[in-house]
Amino acid sequence: MSNRSPISIALTAESPTETQELTKSISREERFFLVLAVFIGVFAGLGVVCFRLFIEWNRIGFLGSLPQAGDWRLLVAPTAIGILVALLVMYAFPQVRGSGVNQTKAALYIYNGYIPFRTAMGKFITAALAIGSGQSLGPEDPSLQIGASLASALGRRFHLSRERLRLLAPVGAAAGLAAAFNAPISAVLFVIEEVIGRWSAGILGSVVLSAISSVVVVRWFLGSEPLFRIPAVGLVRPSELIAYAVLGIVGGLAATFFAKAIGYFRPRLRSWPQWTQYIQIPLAGFLIGMIGFLGAPQVMGAGYEYMDQAMHDQFPWKMLAFLAILKIVATALSFVCGTPGGMFAPTLFVGAMLGGAIGGIERIFYPNLTGSTATYALVGMGVLFAGFLRAPMTSVFMVLEVSGNYSIIVPVIVANTFAYVISRNLQPTPIFDLLTRQDGLDLPSMEEQREERILRVEDAMQTPAAPILDSEETVKRANNRIQGSDGDLFLVRLHPSGWTSLNRDLLKRLIGEGKSEDTLASALPTERLPYLHPDLPLEMALRYIYQSPLVPVISRADFRKLEGVISREAVLGKYRVAEIDSESDGRFELS
Amino acid sequence: MSFPDAAELRNRPGVIFAALTLVAVLGFAGVTRLTKRYHDQQKAVARRLYARGLDDQKEGQFDNAISDFRAALSYDRDNFYYELSLARALRDNGRMNEAEAYLVNLWERTPQDGFVNLALGRLAARQSKIDKAIQYYHNAIYGVWPSNAENNRRTAEFELIAFLLRQGAQSQAEAELIAVAATLPPDDVILQTHVAQLLAQVGMHDRALALFKKVLQEDRSSKPALDGAANSAFELGHYRSAEGYLRRSLALDPHNEQNRDLLETITLVLEMDPYDRRLSTVGRIRRLRAAFDVASKRLSVCLADKQGVPDTPWTALQANWMQMKGKLSHLTDADAETFDAAMDLINQIEQHAQLDCGPPARTDRALLLLSATRFGAER
Repeated sequence: MSNRSPISIALTAESPTETQELTKSISREERFFLVLAVFIGVFAGLGVVCFRLFIEWNRIGFLGSLPQAGDWRLLVAPTAIGILVALLVMYAFPQVRGSGVNQTKAALYIYNGYIPFRTAMGKFITAALAIGSGQSLGPEDPSLQIGASLASALGRRFHLSRERLRLLAPVGAAAGLAAAFNAPISAVLFVIEEVIGRWSAGILGSVVLSAISSVVVVRWFLGSEPLFRIPAVGLVRPSELIAYAVLGIVGGLAATFFAKAIGYFRPRLRSWPQWTQYIQIPLAGFLIGMIGFLGAPQVMGAGYEYMDQAMHDQFPWKMLAFLAILKIVATALSFVCGTPGGMFAPTLFVGAMLGGAIGGIERIFYPNLTGSTATYALVGMGVLFAGFLRAPMTSVFMVLEVSGNYSIIVPVIVANTFAYVISRNLQPTPIFDLLTRQDGLDLPSMEEQREERILRVEDAMQTPAAPILDSEETVKRANNRIQGSDGDLFLVRLHPSGWTSLNRDLLKRLIGEGKSEDTLASALPTERLPYLHPDLPLEMALRYIYQSPLVPVISRADFRKLEGVISREAVLGKYRVAEIDSESDGRFELS
Repeated sequence: MSFPDAAELRNRPGVIFAALTLVAVLGFAGVTRLTKRYHDQQKAVARRLYARGLDDQKEGQFDNAISDFRAALSYDRDNFYYELSLARALRDNGRMNEAEAYLVNLWERTPQDGFVNLALGRLAARQSKIDKAIQYYHNAIYGVWPSNAENNRRTAEFELIAFLLRQGAQSQAEAELIAVAATLPPDDVILQTHVAQLLAQVGMHDRALALFKKVLQEDRSSKPALDGAANSAFELGHYRSAEGYLRRSLALDPHNEQNRDLLETITLVLEMDPYDRRLSTVGRIRRLRAAFDVASKRLSVCLADKQGVPDTPWTALQANWMQMKGKLSHLTDADAETFDAAMDLINQIEQHAQLDCGPPARTDRALLLLSATRFGAER
């Protein structure tokens, strides 16, 4: 067999044998890629299990088995370990700062899927040290990057094509995130929404396979228990949706504040002199430790156990509100200093506490509200996810996946919509895009894709000025019909379907050849025109307008019915107008 | 490890996947060792925290105990006993909603478990939720107990009955008691006595008496059984039996004032009973007249109190009394109808007097008891 890649074969395939060879080769590589996705999931799962164990050992070792306010270790551990993490980040692993989602996205779009294995190692060590010592960050985003990095390393080992290597990063990312969160559907959606940034069915199968296999591995080792033990949740009266809408509004405002705080302080701290990098992470650790030491050790680390407790009514609403505010402060402190660690867990923490607090306040004024604290906390998680991370699809499915209760879907959708819309208006750039731009990159965003204006064929379509001829007409009659019109090119409807065109000169020539009484069908060449439908993206028209100056736009219901015509001038004119509009309105992209 | 290049990869995917599988197996082996160590450590931490929680609980430091149990559970999330202890501590600390959340979680995992159902039953009982309490207590009674099942089931049964009695759910308590009485072990006189006492408490004196008798067959000198039997016999109007049980009980405990008082009442009832089959006709008539005299005194006292109050039942009673007095002066043994009518009038006088003229004297009470027994027997 040839050593050429399928793409090179495709470019040169000339004979049927070569075409068959090409098809076989592509099919084989696709199968290989799918099976490789399973292995990526397995390895990412193993890596994430080790990562979680390492964090937990660090946590018990640094902070003790039951961290309590007043324990001096809460002050010392994050500060001392912070110094070590700062040194590691500065000298050994400079690429591991922050969450890892952006780096993975950059790898996909800029570095052809290349993520150094050293990054995975660095992220593993530094994030585990930071989170274990009490920095207010989570393990999910680092897991995502570790998974992507493992996948990238594997792809490079097998010398996969650049195209495949690029696709491996999201496959590994989904596996890592699914393993960390024990929620495969949310992981797949998050990777699509935040890493790939586009709905692409091309790698969906691989992403799903890797996510599921990594979750299987994690459950094999750590059990199949969900992250939280959710008490019975649900919606009893539809009127209570108003209460959840209020939660959505407050959550949207909180998410905006959270995002703005990070967006404001991060570039400023990065612009400080180089020597301050040594003290930023330990100082953040010290301040967070102080919060814990003075009475709120719950804000230290990922805090999943405290979310669980909040759902079981352990904290009064004032405490929940207090913890939500402190967690925003603590997470902002950790993150803006460049401490390696994720935003996933803190977002959920803030959401759970805020949700529980809002539910508690609402019950004071309306004691008949039936929603439990767990219900509000769960909805709150989704709200912050939608408002802060701006991943609306993921936010809904994440809540459903961790609760295992689909009766909560309506409150979640209502609250998330409010949070998303408020956050979208007050903070136009999503947090991950903001971080990316602060790093000097511009990567595709699903939010932009969702909101971009898509030009369609109908936007550039025009009513044909010239008469439409029929292939059953005689040449003479056709010639008579076009006499009054100005155009040179005329569309001819073929029987039983299809379209072709002719010009004035051709008609004259046919009459000159004595074919006046022949039908157009018998006199014209058999070449058919390509056609379009009104709803197709306008870029489809670009493929055809250079083949034919006039392309028929026909109805999907009746292929003989002409809706309009597309011309080269009309298409280009439409793009020119759209470009001017986008300069005045904002961003414009092709779909 | 050396990997083939892209060409070989496409040609020999089987080899590649075998190699990947080998690496995965090695990875699984390594991570298995790590996770085992991790789980062992977590369980050890959990045990330590649980033990500390138990100590806190013993010392009455419930908040600390809850905190420790909760932490223990976070390190060993599947541990049934940690979760149950946490739920119980929360319940005992009045944090019902939290306790319920944990208990329901446990119940969903092991719906047949006796401990969990009993704890949920107690929680429902504390929340005065009768239906839920009955449901969970029943689950506990018929559920699975890892050890000491019989005792635990009995505990659940008696707790349920006590709860129902507290709630005034008399008929449900009776139903539970009948079910319990039917399954009592034949040789456990203490349990039988307890059930008999509960039966007596809900007014099922016939069943109670039968059970007390059963106990006394096993243990003739059981004082609780003698007292219970005497009381039930008394309530049923079996004064002769009651007298016998009371005498036996007083022989064991001569200073029991309550029993002595009851015995005196019973003796008086028996002495005043004109229906005593052992009496001759003359004796019966004499007792009837004595009873009539007692009622007459009661009537005269009441009439003196109610003088000047128009349209009272006493006017009619006085008229009947006058009429009956004349009849009784020449009552013969053949006139059973007058005998019964006289007893009816005595009963009416005593009943009205009890309502209108204060508590009855011992003799009046004896007449009331005789009437109750007579009407009970007729019913």
